[in-house]
Amino acid sequence: MSHLPTERLAAFVNEPPSATEMAHLAACAECARERVMYRQLAELSAGESARIGMPLTSWEKLRPALIADGVIDDGRGMSLGSRHVRRPWLQAAAAVLLIAGGIMAGRRSAGASLFPPNETPVAANNATTIDSAPKFASLAAARDAQAQSQLVYQSATAFLAERDTASRASDSPASVRTRLAALDRTRQVLGAALNDAPYDPVINGQYLTTLGQREATLRQLNTFAPASMRITSY
Amino acid sequence: MEQESLIIRRAISGDEVALRALWTRHAPHIDLVVRRLVGGDPDLAADIAQEVWIQIFRALPSYRGDSQFSTWAHRIAVNRTLNALRKTRRLANIETDVNEDTASVEPDHERTFVAESIENAAARLSPGARAVFMLHDVEGYTHEEIADELGITSGGSKSQLFKARAKLRKLLAHLIDANDVRSSNEGTEHVAPAY
Repeated sequence: MSHLPTERLAAFVNEPPSATEMAHLAACAECARERVMYRQLAELSAGESARIGMPLTSWEKLRPALIADGVIDDGRGMSLGSRHVRRPWLQAAAAVLLIAGGIMAGRRSAGASLFPPNETPVAANNATTIDSAPKFASLAAARDAQAQSQLVYQSATAFLAERDTASRASDSPASVRTRLAALDRTRQVLGAALNDAPYDPVINGQYLTTLGQREATLRQLNTFAPASMRITSY
Repeated sequence: MEQESLIIRRAISGDEVALRALWTRHAPHIDLVVRRLVGGDPDLAADIAQEVWIQIFRALPSYRGDSQFSTWAHRIAVNRTLNALRKTRRLANIETDVNEDTASVEPDHERTFVAESIENAAARLSPGARAVFMLHDVEGYTHEEIADELGITSGGSKSQLFKARAKLRKLLAHLIDANDVRSSNEGTEHVAPAY
């Protein structure tokens, strides 16, 4: 018995067989089986679309090209948007918060109290800490410093997440899932905050950092899963 | 997604953190589309993916939010990749013979075996057949959409797809037949008919 052409069998995934072909499929077990095999191939292929993988691109490579292209605003007034709305008071507030946060973190890491001791004159203490804090000549300079700090923080966190094997020793699938769940809750809270204050730079920064970390954790979790079980949402 | 539209607004204004957030979120999918269409040339795929992202960010002000950002960016990725492949003459209508002797894929990485097998096998198709197969069977495009993208007829798209499936059926016989053996009780011998 001659068999149906392979390309016809491959077409049956989307097209119904003709009456003659149906009669052949009813009589020929091999062709009927091949028809099932092509369906399986189509199912496997469709499952591919849900897969995620490691990016081909890196931000370190993309960034210079985007700056040269004017996509990233590098402070020279070049950006994609024709209307560039800034909120100077918000930017200033963010800069103050960053400085204050930096001072507190510095004192904390140095083992000092976050608050001045009672016997120390407050004015003198403030003078010392303000002298050691960065000063900005303009809002643009503070804005740049803020963006740089966020970028450095995100890059360092991503780098550590990828390469710090000492801290990853305890990264079991369960602990990664726990972190993912925590990041998900953080994302929800910050997302709600963003709805209330959509232009707040501090909330925006934290929200974006959380999103980035969540995606990185999701990818990390996928390294534990078999290929047929790709996790694209949580 | 409302939060994403806020991120996009900030990205359009040149905010690097927002641009990076969009890239972080969508690169795993977008870059994979590029890799699938390019096939087995990782350096070329990386170059095209870089161009794709620059194009996505350049075009960002034209994004109106009519569709999801991922869908919009995916469309740009497909367009840009196919254009790049045309420039490198990899979308010629010449079918490359499949070397069946090298068709089998060693199952040494069980975890990603299925996905890698399909990707590896598709990389052995001719560029045109691979593009049609990936767009139709993996990405879910219709033949009419593929015809528009590739500048061919929808009949030509169907013909390429069926040829691609027939070749992949042979290349992935170890995988598909193994599934069949598992699903229909072990012990029965299955041999693909020799056409």
